[in-house]
Amino acid sequence: MTTDAALRKSSLAVESFLFAGRLLTHWRREPVMTVQALLYPTFLLIAYDLLVGKSILKITGRDSIYGLVPTCAIAGAMFGALTASLAIRVELDWGLLPRLWVLPVKRASALTGRLVAEAVRTLAGSIIVTLVGVLLGLRFEGGWLAVIPFILVPVAVAVVFSTVLIAIAVRSKSSMALILVGVFSVSAVFASSGAPPVETLPSWARLLVQFQPMYPTVQYMRALAEGGPGLQPLLVSLIWALALTAVFGPLAIRGYRAAAGR
Amino acid sequence: MTAVAALTERMIRITARDDLPFAILATAGIFGFFNFALRNVIDTGQTNYAQYILPVIIIQVTFLGALSTVDRAAHDQRSGFGIGIRTLPVPVVAPLIARMLYCLLRGVLALLAALAVGYLFGFRMGGGFLYTAAFVILVLLFTLALSLGADATGTGAARSAIVRTGASSQLLLIPQMLLVMLSTGMAPADSFPDWLQSFVRYQPVSQVTQTLQGFAAGGVSVSNLATSLAWCLGLLVVFGALAVRMQRRTE
Repeated sequence: MTTDAALRKSSLAVESFLFAGRLLTHWRREPVMTVQALLYPTFLLIAYDLLVGKSILKITGRDSIYGLVPTCAIAGAMFGALTASLAIRVELDWGLLPRLWVLPVKRASALTGRLVAEAVRTLAGSIIVTLVGVLLGLRFEGGWLAVIPFILVPVAVAVVFSTVLIAIAVRSKSSMALILVGVFSVSAVFASSGAPPVETLPSWARLLVQFQPMYPTVQYMRALAEGGPGLQPLLVSLIWALALTAVFGPLAIRGYRAAAGR
Repeated sequence: MTAVAALTERMIRITARDDLPFAILATAGIFGFFNFALRNVIDTGQTNYAQYILPVIIIQVTFLGALSTVDRAAHDQRSGFGIGIRTLPVPVVAPLIARMLYCLLRGVLALLAALAVGYLFGFRMGGGFLYTAAFVILVLLFTLALSLGADATGTGAARSAIVRTGASSQLLLIPQMLLVMLSTGMAPADSFPDWLQSFVRYQPVSQVTQTLQGFAAGGVSVSNLATSLAWCLGLLVVFGALAVRMQRRTE
């Protein structure tokens, strides 16, 4: 009787959380993930602020922390997603993912569970980086409620970015492609931080910086903290997120099915 | 063919597709990244920022190389290969020497990559042949010292959970990042908050990069050169002794 009840209650949501729980337990016990997703972005924020804080204040008259907290929170989301995607390869080689694939659960839950885990992990990282940012002088000038969307933006970035990485991880034999995508993405985030101030760049570089997805995302988080107008960067970021998901979502689903179901 | 030559060739074949290209690309990438991000932010007075930052980029790449050396030494030590080689009639230190030769080769390639990209952005060796030679020698001394330390760490703790999961190289990412970013290699000491300036000025990465900046410009202060050499040779002796000692351990 009890098994019957459990089976009937089993839904996509329950199964997703089960898969997410597996990954989160794994990550908690894996120092690599703790370092990449929590410690490294936090220390990077502190070091970067100490390094450029004085100079940025002199050049722009604004506190660099408003650009650096979004940057490091998003970079942390990306480091974490990258670390997780490198492990997918290993789990495929061990045969763990094919073994999970034959469990009597909804097929989609393997992927949705992974994305839920990404979201939970990034939420933790985002909160820690923001807290350290507040200690270093970050203030929410438009009211403290803005902190909620502020810590959720990196979570959204992590979900979209890991969809892209999963699509690549299940296809490539080596980890080189993943690392290259990771390096480019993290550079894109840092180019958007406001250090260097966009005004100081040559026009070609300014175009390159402004027309990539991370620029509006960092701008939106900055607007949330500074209490400025944020609708336009929010819309541009959403368009990017939808476009990337529309392209890489199906690729991730199909690739995962092919790799795990083989 | 001697054991060392064969083992070195093996190292190069293993890494030719990932670690070696990565050493070159990472060097160019890290230099491009910091030069782009900080050129208009950090005030280095008369000095071109590319000229200023190149030495610390070389140090950064050396650190990253050493982190991968930890994992590779650990892998060699605990894999079937590591056990097999200890049963063969070759010197116990042969794998260590091969790994170090490989680290030096990677160091040379990274250095060439750094100089090539640096030249594109305005870095110049202004001190003539002797200073250039001194620059190269100091970089390689530093590379060897760190690689020996990394090898000792990887070999010594190959079976501990922290090295087996790759966590040790991950954890070491943080101190090396702090040493590199909070050094006078990235920005003059005045750019840092007042309370941090004396740490920034006297920590080893600042001292070594200052010497390298001096070699590139064609003049170093004796006290700074002495400090850098003391750090490099001191680490070389300590880590070298440790690394050789680790090779003798049997299970």
